[in-house]
Amino acid sequence: MRPGSIFGTFKRDYQLWMMIAPAIAVIFIFNYIPMYGVQLAFRDYHFSKGLTGGDWQGLFYFKQFIDSYLFTDLLKNTFFISLTTIVVGFPAPIILALILNQIRRKKMKQLMQTTVYLPHFISIIVLVGMLNVLLSPETGIVGHIMKSIGLGHINLLASTSTFIPTYVLSDIWQHCGWNSIIYLAALSTVDPQLYDSAKIDGAGRWQTIRYIDFPALVPTIVILFILSMGNILSTGFEKIFLMQNALNLPVSEVIATYVYKIGIISNQFSYASAIGLFNTLVNFIFLFAMNAISKRVSNTSLF
Amino acid sequence: MIRQRLNGGEIAFRIVLSALCALIFLAIAYPLYFIVIASISDSTLVSTGKVLLLPKEISFFGYKEIFQDERVWTGYRNTVFYTTAGTLVNLLFTLPAAYVLSRREFRARRFIMFAFVLTMFFNGGLIPTYLLMKDLHLTNTPWVFILPFCVNVFYLIIARTFFESTLPSELYEAAAIDGCSHFVFFVKVALPLSKALISVIGLYYLVGHWNDFFTALIYIRDNEWKPLQIILRDILLSNQVFSGGAGTGGDSGGYAQRYADQIKYGVIIVSTLPILVLYPFLQKYFEKGVMIGSIKG
Amino acid sequence: MRKKAIWLLSIILVACAVLAGCSGSGNGNGGGEAANDSGNSGQSGEKVKLTALITKHPLTKPLAEMEWLQQVEDAAGVDIEWQEITADWGQKKGTLLASGDVPDLFVGPNVITDADFAQFQGLFQDLNGLLEQAPNVQKMFEEKPETKAIATQRDGEIYGLPKYQSYWPNTANRQYINQAWLDNLGLSMPTTWDELYHVLVAFKEKDANGNGDPNDEIPMDWPGGIGGYFNPAVLLGSMGITLASEVSGQGYFIEDGGVKNFLTDDRYKQMVLFLNKLYKAGLINPEVFTHDYTKYQAVARGEGDTAKVGFTWGWVASDRFGEQVAPQYASMSPLKVSAGSAEQVSWSYDYYSLNFGVNHIVMSAKTKNKEAAMRFINELYNPVTGIQALFGSIGPNIKDNGDGTYAVLPPQDSKMDPGTWKWTSTWADNGAFYISDGTPLTLGKDMQEVLTQSEPLSGVLEQVDPENDVYPAMFIKYSTADNNSMSLNNTNVMNLANTSFAKWVTKGGIEAEWDTYVNESKKAGLDQNLEIMQKYYDEYLSTN
Repeated sequence: MRPGSIFGTFKRDYQLWMMIAPAIAVIFIFNYIPMYGVQLAFRDYHFSKGLTGGDWQGLFYFKQFIDSYLFTDLLKNTFFISLTTIVVGFPAPIILALILNQIRRKKMKQLMQTTVYLPHFISIIVLVGMLNVLLSPETGIVGHIMKSIGLGHINLLASTSTFIPTYVLSDIWQHCGWNSIIYLAALSTVDPQLYDSAKIDGAGRWQTIRYIDFPALVPTIVILFILSMGNILSTGFEKIFLMQNALNLPVSEVIATYVYKIGIISNQFSYASAIGLFNTLVNFIFLFAMNAISKRVSNTSLF
Repeated sequence: MIRQRLNGGEIAFRIVLSALCALIFLAIAYPLYFIVIASISDSTLVSTGKVLLLPKEISFFGYKEIFQDERVWTGYRNTVFYTTAGTLVNLLFTLPAAYVLSRREFRARRFIMFAFVLTMFFNGGLIPTYLLMKDLHLTNTPWVFILPFCVNVFYLIIARTFFESTLPSELYEAAAIDGCSHFVFFVKVALPLSKALISVIGLYYLVGHWNDFFTALIYIRDNEWKPLQIILRDILLSNQVFSGGAGTGGDSGGYAQRYADQIKYGVIIVSTLPILVLYPFLQKYFEKGVMIGSIKG
Repeated sequence: MRKKAIWLLSIILVACAVLAGCSGSGNGNGGGEAANDSGNSGQSGEKVKLTALITKHPLTKPLAEMEWLQQVEDAAGVDIEWQEITADWGQKKGTLLASGDVPDLFVGPNVITDADFAQFQGLFQDLNGLLEQAPNVQKMFEEKPETKAIATQRDGEIYGLPKYQSYWPNTANRQYINQAWLDNLGLSMPTTWDELYHVLVAFKEKDANGNGDPNDEIPMDWPGGIGGYFNPAVLLGSMGITLASEVSGQGYFIEDGGVKNFLTDDRYKQMVLFLNKLYKAGLINPEVFTHDYTKYQAVARGEGDTAKVGFTWGWVASDRFGEQVAPQYASMSPLKVSAGSAEQVSWSYDYYSLNFGVNHIVMSAKTKNKEAAMRFINELYNPVTGIQALFGSIGPNIKDNGDGTYAVLPPQDSKMDPGTWKWTSTWADNGAFYISDGTPLTLGKDMQEVLTQSEPLSGVLEQVDPENDVYPAMFIKYSTADNNSMSLNNTNVMNLANTSFAKWVTKGGIEAEWDTYVNESKKAGLDQNLEIMQKYYDEYLSTN
């Protein structure tokens, strides 16, 4: 490729440039222009000197975070919660989509689809409120069920060993249906002729799933998986915060909730930026690594 | 012949499938049903676990409280406007860009893609963004819901892969020979073939606008422009028992106690019903589907 | 080729960021805007337009509907456009201040903090020069010198004015036991920890509420955690520790001229052992560490006339238990640790935090007509305005007896309790005002109830010497660096303390883990904080 070839083809592709120009403009203005704010992670903040006028502090705020008393615990908890969410939570919508796709009766299928995507709309405050009521070992329905199947008297929200399962399962409950929409859509593009010929070859439904449906999902799965690895340090804040209590705190304190508690939102802009940038870098490294691996293995990649 | 072979495995499969579906349905539907009954039952009974299958001491106080607040109606109006206009702008900016990025002959596509993906991770933070919005005179106007961040890179990637896999490049080349430009091809061929994609991406954007309260929290000052979610949040908070109230040196009020949760659950129903109505209309397009094909690196 | 492309792109991006940085660096310092067209038309009968922001309680009705406020604005010759914030102020504040896009006045409890003043220098108005125009504020400073001390920063500036409301009791915590249960079971009011234990055992084992089910009683309950309001930490008073809500949430207290922290004190260990004993015996609500405030309150309301909770803490019985079962409860005196203990019993002393408030009104330095803004502040700090800011307008909420005395009226909405009514009608405790001692006002039923139920505690609280037993948190202004390290350390210490406390109460094990825990607390920053606080405390003592 000749240097400058991008611009060499400009005349040919001017229509394409015009079509993408609005998106480029919007992304440049709203995402790139404010990016000078990244400096704040390396500087003190002084109102009178403007955002970028404070004294240069180098890696001081990063060091402050890495040296902080809870750093290893926070990192460990954050990784553990999001890894569990990915490992358990990522396949769930795929499986759900495969199951829903097998339903033959149209009415049934529609009812199921509409039901499973509903929980997505419940706000976190209400979700956690519901968990408190439904999971109560004394009075909740889950408490009743557990007692009746002999699991006894366990307060799921109050122990270090049950917090993560409860968190992850409630997350799956809430978003699995919504996330399966995209897989369902991908499944519907499978050529119906494939099913017919599979039938003639005597394939059971299990085999159809395995050899026709699943392969159709692979590209979607790969892309979404790469993107989800790029969120490895971004656990949600509000839900964990609301689910925290003194008994599960050893496993439920994560970076986001800790940052909130140091009172960073109101004052320590530089420290907050540094922690944010640290998270971003780790996330980006994971995304980059996943993207590279996937390019090697499956020849699919983001860029 | 075929029928015979199907029987053994097929019956087992159907039993397992029905059982699974029933289980999933119950696990998801019961909590939803619980929200409905909790929104009309006495809150003290709800939080002490007395309301499990049927509503108790039914009252519609929660809904009354929500709907007698005039701001709810302004909120609805604003949200409907932001959602419709916002989603249209989103699609207008995202779809052409996705189409362009799907064209292999477009040399800059890898650069641009990388630059776009980068913004999913790095951002300047809230303060510089706020200053920018202020300088552009977008704060405290409805535009702030519509224009900024109207291209979501995640959806852009989905759209790009869809175009890549459903529009073979020969299709355009053939059209080009007939003198068809990219504009015409995009409008006349690409879009009509992509109804499924448009409805999925549209739904995603739409729900994003519908649920967005952060934008209003930061950028909107006047009640006049506040969306539904912010107003419902206010109502919700004003009816939460004074958990910090006693602490601020005052005294707590027992008044809200009996109905606090009614409002909490009622808010969910009030805010989701309209969007539920929409789903069946879009659903038929999903049947045809959107597909993310492979993207060669 | 691909690599090159990405490199090139990266360079472009960096260049963009740098360029944008240069152009953007001019932002955010529009602080020194000239006071042009000052609009000083107050005299000519036309009202001066001002903007203001208030962080009000979500229940509070729109400000436009408050009669008293309209009168105050009229009297000051101003017309204020209010921005009313009910939630998420912490999140909004950062961007608002950093952008310099601020209203003329801010109203609310600690609406702008001392730390904000330090960080956003130049954004807020030093009121020193304007005080002459505010005789009511000057009067407050003279009559209650504490208010001046609270308002004054380290270098002498006054950015925020405090509030003072004179009527509140000197503790936030009242201790309640179900007298009806005691009577049913023929028991007498416990006075020591041991007696409390036996009473709670009886509550548990017998059918104390007489509904035929001996298992539905919850002998003891609190909102959860350690420190804070309505918390068993008040039991430390039995061993002579005087809590003060400003700092006791993180364990700090004053003893013998030194700043200490009970979280690593042997007396705390003793208390945790006692709580563990209660928990093991099933006397504490098993959900004590997990329930949310709604559920905590709901449970105590019982069912109909049947109460569910035996022993707990709260602000006032009618709020804690609901009107229906509240009459069953009696307010208790603090307990002694044992019958033979000679220790002077103490309690939680919250006079300052309940009656004073820091930075309740703040003026922006960009205000165009500072005189008008100050006139408004002056009107607010008139005591007769003060009672209306706190309880509501004269007319609907307060009765003017015509002889210079006033009385708080019962709620117009008969279904509402007086406390909620107050919060609905007016700024209430979030407002900025000065109610001088002896302002002749008869309080409403709810406040009278609070004061009556405080009586069993008054003997003990009279023993507290606020000068020497209470950390003067409100009067101390920290430097930004100290403030930052303290909040960081406190987060770490409380993380450890909360988890250990919950574990020890529910599962025991404090004996074995105590020493490690004390060391860990030090490592988490407890010692550093004690040092910082001691330094400021000594400084405070030497200047007062």
